[in-house]
Amino acid sequence: MTASMSDLIVASILVVEDSDEDFDTLCDAAAKAGVTRMIQRVLSGGDCLAMLRGEIDVGLPLLPALILMDLHSHVVDGREALVAIKPDASLKEIPLGVLTTSASPKDVAFCYQAGVNAYHVKPVRHDQYLLLLRSLLNYWLVSATLPPTLVKVD
Amino acid sequence: MHENLRKMVREAEAHAAEPKMTRAAPWDTQPYSIKRDGINIINCDDEPVRTPGCIQAHGALLVLRLADLSILQASENTHAILGQSAQQLLGQSVAAVVKAEGAARLRSVLATDATDRNPIYAFTLPASEQVAAMDVTLHTQGGVVILEFEATGRSQPGTATGPVAPGPRNQPDFYSIIKKTVARLQTMATVQTFCQALADEVRLLSGMDRVMIYKFHADHHGEVFAESRQSHLAPWLGLHYPAEDIPMPARDIFAKTWIRPVPDINGALAEMTPLLNPDTGMPVDMTFCALRGVSVMYTEYLQNMGVSAGLTMPLRRDNVLWGLIACHHYSGPHHVPYELRAACEFLAQVGSLQHRAVEDRENAAYRLQLEDVNQQLLTRAAQEGGLASMTDGVPSLLGAMHAGGAALYHRDRWWRVGQTPDDSQLEALGQWLVERLDAGSLVSPLYATQSLAVDYPPGAVFADVASGLLAVPLSRSGQNQMMWFRPEVKKTVNWGGNPHDKPMVTGPHGSRLTPRRSFELFSESVHQQALPWLQVEIDAVARLRALIMELGIVRAERLAGLNAELARSNEELDAFAYVASHDLKEPLRGIHKYAHQLMEAAPANEEERRKLDGLMRLTLRMDSLLDSLLHFSRVGREELTLENVDLNDVLADALEMVGSRTEDGRTQIVAPRALPLIMCDRVRVREVLVNLLSNALKYNDKAAQRVEVGFIDAHESAPRQGFPDSTDGHTVYYVRDNGIGIAPRHFDQVFKMFKRLHGREEYGGGTGVGLTIVRKLVERHRGQVWLESRGGEGSTFFFTLGGADDSQHV
Repeated sequence: MTASMSDLIVASILVVEDSDEDFDTLCDAAAKAGVTRMIQRVLSGGDCLAMLRGEIDVGLPLLPALILMDLHSHVVDGREALVAIKPDASLKEIPLGVLTTSASPKDVAFCYQAGVNAYHVKPVRHDQYLLLLRSLLNYWLVSATLPPTLVKVD
Repeated sequence: MHENLRKMVREAEAHAAEPKMTRAAPWDTQPYSIKRDGINIINCDDEPVRTPGCIQAHGALLVLRLADLSILQASENTHAILGQSAQQLLGQSVAAVVKAEGAARLRSVLATDATDRNPIYAFTLPASEQVAAMDVTLHTQGGVVILEFEATGRSQPGTATGPVAPGPRNQPDFYSIIKKTVARLQTMATVQTFCQALADEVRLLSGMDRVMIYKFHADHHGEVFAESRQSHLAPWLGLHYPAEDIPMPARDIFAKTWIRPVPDINGALAEMTPLLNPDTGMPVDMTFCALRGVSVMYTEYLQNMGVSAGLTMPLRRDNVLWGLIACHHYSGPHHVPYELRAACEFLAQVGSLQHRAVEDRENAAYRLQLEDVNQQLLTRAAQEGGLASMTDGVPSLLGAMHAGGAALYHRDRWWRVGQTPDDSQLEALGQWLVERLDAGSLVSPLYATQSLAVDYPPGAVFADVASGLLAVPLSRSGQNQMMWFRPEVKKTVNWGGNPHDKPMVTGPHGSRLTPRRSFELFSESVHQQALPWLQVEIDAVARLRALIMELGIVRAERLAGLNAELARSNEELDAFAYVASHDLKEPLRGIHKYAHQLMEAAPANEEERRKLDGLMRLTLRMDSLLDSLLHFSRVGREELTLENVDLNDVLADALEMVGSRTEDGRTQIVAPRALPLIMCDRVRVREVLVNLLSNALKYNDKAAQRVEVGFIDAHESAPRQGFPDSTDGHTVYYVRDNGIGIAPRHFDQVFKMFKRLHGREEYGGGTGVGLTIVRKLVERHRGQVWLESRGGEGSTFFFTLGGADDSQHV
């Protein structure tokens, strides 16, 4: 694989997802894509923020290498977390992909305005969803070059 | 000297010092006398009616110096009336005529009574061998005492009863007669009935043949408003007369005096001897004299009408001359003696005082009527949610208002009732009023005129129906208006002197003007004139306007409430859209996933595999239904992006989007001519075309599919049969196919959400939302969509794009 294999051990993927089925599918896709990074799951946008700010200690020395967020989690709306993460200097380098059921142009516009790096609509068809997840994981973790702060081992 | 007398002397001196008016009439350089100069009168407004130099010869007049009651002037007929010639009397004390006790009585009256410009009965001079008994009245004016002698109506011991001394006691009980009359007048509800009663009572009292209540209009033209007459006389009630018939000097005198008796129109005149007061060099002012010599014009005019005796009293309102009580006698001289005249005069004063109260009473009744109709109009407008019933219903805007017609501009059109200008005239008048009236003003904007053509010259064309206009705006912009019209007076009145009417009649007073001349003058004075609007009417209109505006505000508030509610329900729809997209799709995705995984785990038999297949297919169908629903909700809510769009480009894009179907070689899509360039939302119109084109292709089982896309221009004479009326003047676009067609009973069904005329899997399936979205998109462009079809012979979908939907959705 690539030169950054060693980094993959520590820098995790943070997933904001309240649907167990969808999280399962994500893990499935990650396995099929050969992702070895740790996948950390939170249920809400609020938990996501708390974790990134170190308010919840999950024993991880590094910030995540990628955040995948469902916009419509039930407890705290993902949009609230979005507008908090991107203006934050210490967090805004983390690539953030939205994964949501909504295809509403309003939502798409809102997310890009907030600074997300990619917006994805979850298809209902399982095989299509798997395909989508595999390609986006491959893109962010293999094709794309991540910011240096997120790949340091020290 | 008594204080009163001293004051009068001072006034006399002041009067004598006044400079003479300079006028170019024959009598400017010499004293005027009707007897000498009357024939020279050419303009009735110039006649010196107050100083005629003559009296009516049935009585005698003496002018006394106030200080010593010596005789300064005497009428030339004193010998016949008083038994001594004027020449004998001049310079003598009044005692020469009335004896010492008479002179003493005069002094006492002068000292105690308010005699200035106010004739007061002093005593009755008993009859002697040569002369009859005489009523003596006196008043002071300009520093002199004026004594008038008239044959008495009172019974005198030892003399024959006079011609007008009715009743067994020979002394009519004027007090009880007047009391009864006044009580009767007070019960009258309208000015009309009040005047009628007044005329009846005055005729009863005076014994005159005809008594008219003659009413002056604002332009001084007059109308016989009430009349009491001997039954054999022709009625003059309702006739109008030009202002010239009662000339200015005559009107002036009636503003000052309360009675004007002319007991014998054809009687002789007696000139004053000398014509001028030797102390002052001035002619005697006879304004307040009952015997004052009659104007030549007046005499001539009355003679022409066959009048032999007259009696006139003013009716004043707030000290302004409102009308006259004009009495005519036709069967010879008719002398109404002093006491009876006093009773008539009193009635005129009561009439004047009561008039205002009666008018207020009548106005109050009229106001109530108007208000009652206003309320009915409002109630109906509120129930029906519009003002149309104000012209179509009963009562209408003309319900209580005395007007010939009314019109209303409301919901972009005119509503008319009664006699009004036509729509195009109203349109122009309305525009003029918008500029004229400051509709946004805080005070109630209102326009009232009785002569519209003066302010608005184009109004001359319809002056016959609308010389009078009363208009108010009903909206802040002033575009919505309410108007009442009054016809030209010429059309509404009968008039004396109309040369086309036989027999001709002339005014109760008059000038030397011929009836024809009167007619022409009058015709001019009422040209393009209507009767004036009453304050009550103006108030009622202002009130109706306020009520309508209030109603409008209530409606606006209700509308605002509905809008807020709509906004709320739109937000709820938004929320629903999210629920549909996320909360419904999420479990759907889960179901699909499990079905998929079960399938991958190699089902035991074909039956299970078939069921899992079905499960997955149903979840996907559910998914597409949810997508359609979402899309439809967005179509209705999102704003249009209007721009100039070449429909040919849009059609090309649409064809590309349905392209896969057209590449099979058995399909022909034609546009007979280039489509126009219009203002619309490019993306949405493309969606309309895509939907219609794909339907045209989808529901088509012909070997050679043919689809035609074209349009019928708004001004084209092409047949528009079966097109909705509301599409007149709009370009109609169409997509025509040779497909399976639609039965007419399904024309409405096809536009309904999720309605499908065919099985789910027939004709390529689909969610059944395409035409619903087409209709929504067309409606967003303020257009309409409809279809024509005969089963099996293809369908044509027509639509218009009326223009932008400029109402912002909430």
